[in-house]
Amino acid sequence: MVLALFVYPLCYSLVTAFTDKAGAWTLGNFSRAFEFYGKDIGFTVVIILLSTALIGTAAIAIGGYLTLGESPLAVGVLRWIYRWPLFIPFVVAAQCMRTFLAKNGIMNNSLVTLGILTPEQTVGFLDWRGIVITFVWKQLPFVALLVAGAMAALDRTTIEAARNLGAGRLRILIEIVVPQVMPTLMVGLILSFVTMMSVLSVPIMVSGESPTMITVDMAFRINNYGDYGTANALGFISYALTGVAAWIYLKRGIAEGGRP
Amino acid sequence: MTRLKFLLAGVALAMLTLAPGQGNAQKVTLNVITAGDQNMVDYVKDVLAPIFEKDHPNVTVKSVGTGPGDAGSQKIAEKLQAQKATSAWDVDVAVIHQKMAGDLVKEGMLAAYTKDVNTGKLSTSQTAKNALGQNVEGYVIPMFQSQTAIAYNPAMVQTPPKTFQDLEAWAKANPKKFGHNGIKGGMSGVAFVVGWIYANTPNADKLISGPYDQAIETAWAPAFASLKEFNKNVIITPGNAGTLDMLNRGEIAMGPVWVDMFYTWMGEGKLPPTMKLALIGPGMPGQPMYYVVPAKAANLDLAKKFIELATSPKMQAEGIVKRFNWYPGIDAQHVKSQLDEKTWNKLFVDVTPQDLATKGKPFPIKPYFDDIQQGYEKNVMN
Repeated sequence: MVLALFVYPLCYSLVTAFTDKAGAWTLGNFSRAFEFYGKDIGFTVVIILLSTALIGTAAIAIGGYLTLGESPLAVGVLRWIYRWPLFIPFVVAAQCMRTFLAKNGIMNNSLVTLGILTPEQTVGFLDWRGIVITFVWKQLPFVALLVAGAMAALDRTTIEAARNLGAGRLRILIEIVVPQVMPTLMVGLILSFVTMMSVLSVPIMVSGESPTMITVDMAFRINNYGDYGTANALGFISYALTGVAAWIYLKRGIAEGGRP
Repeated sequence: MTRLKFLLAGVALAMLTLAPGQGNAQKVTLNVITAGDQNMVDYVKDVLAPIFEKDHPNVTVKSVGTGPGDAGSQKIAEKLQAQKATSAWDVDVAVIHQKMAGDLVKEGMLAAYTKDVNTGKLSTSQTAKNALGQNVEGYVIPMFQSQTAIAYNPAMVQTPPKTFQDLEAWAKANPKKFGHNGIKGGMSGVAFVVGWIYANTPNADKLISGPYDQAIETAWAPAFASLKEFNKNVIITPGNAGTLDMLNRGEIAMGPVWVDMFYTWMGEGKLPPTMKLALIGPGMPGQPMYYVVPAKAANLDLAKKFIELATSPKMQAEGIVKRFNWYPGIDAQHVKSQLDEKTWNKLFVDVTPQDLATKGKPFPIKPYFDDIQQGYEKNVMN
């Protein structure tokens, strides 16, 4: 099953990436990929790293508040609400963001109605910022769920000890809690990284700006030119990028004594 | 196992019943195959078929879709080529795109049927005679003509541009008020880019009629350079729908759209009824789809009668114009008497039949078309 549905298509696409239309071996697909889409490849990496960093920071903040927060009501509300986007597919999230983030969209209209902005000051976010916002909104609950779970499972005595010695909550979070949940956080972030690399709907629906993400270029190559070679070369580049993420992850595991 | 056997027996029985010539010899199945969206398949099934079956009680119309785009036409062509050697093909009427129609005519796979059909002479447009460089006169009648145009918000644009040159000047004077979706977000943006090339290159006709000669592409460089400059003053929207969305919210004042999509959205209340269209010169691309009859269709005569119904002024008015907001496949003046004034005005006031005749251009032949898109990626986007 794995062979038929994963390994065979993977090998096939790798081979296609290195062959031209006549079937001869070539690197032409890659030179075309870099010539036309070099900028988009860089842009994809930047967008996804930025999203991953924001997700990590926000997940720590949410998890930290759930663990260390002192107002039971606020903790209860946050616990109840933060998981919602988890159940919404990317394509739905993208469609919502299209109307929410536009220049005259729901967000700006609300701000104008509340008197916070004037119509002249509004800015549309339907570009790379929209992609980052959608990714963070969608993937944050997933990572926060893992991180909050790990934090809740921590031995509370370390936290109490630090607190008795007079450490503030922020200091406890950064110096005591986060290092202990780091492996879980990394797993969550790497899985998010890989998921975001593969999303087509969000960049295609939210942002029309050039540069765009690799997935859009792959779809375009196939739909408009029927050019599977270059599309597969781009796919190969995106495997390579996720491969780097996986390598970092495995290396960490080995450094910690083979425990992934 | 027993269950599987039952299933197989059932399938065999079903095939026996469906096989032509079995049982009632009078019964005929007319196979109509459509490359296009599901709504076109439904149109044949729900609108045309019942009328045709009423007039021909022994006929059942079977409507099959092969999916949108050239890929859909490709499947129909492959089906025909596969049964080339047999004497009666199981496709009676096909609805296909321009590129494939040209190829099939060249290969001698289609019947020259339009002379035998009363409505054949009602369609005299350029696209009824020539499909992306291939002469198809006599073999095709357009089902509809879809067209791109510039949609604008009259509240924000007092004098709409008449040409691409006007538009260039307007966008410079009104930065970030024109929006198009580039080439990766749908065909309305692609059509805009093609229109730009037509407007800014010396031999645009050659791109449409061929033959392919890569040497003339050097003349495109200034057109791409000016488009790159133009793009600095415009907004790139997320897709065909994105342009319409932004027009609706007043974020942009103008943008290229498909005319049928524009009116459909307006009909659904997703665009204000005050919005208008302008087909700017020297022209913007559009494309027809054709009714064709395969050379060895099993039911040649019925196929001709079916197309005669489908291209009759009445059906063109009610089906194509009113239901889909497409321009009719036959010449507009024949359809006019069948339409109420409101529908006619809606479709032909902003873009007149003359505009359509002079400024409605076909897309370029395939190799030029690919090169224009690649050129845009290389010279404008990078």
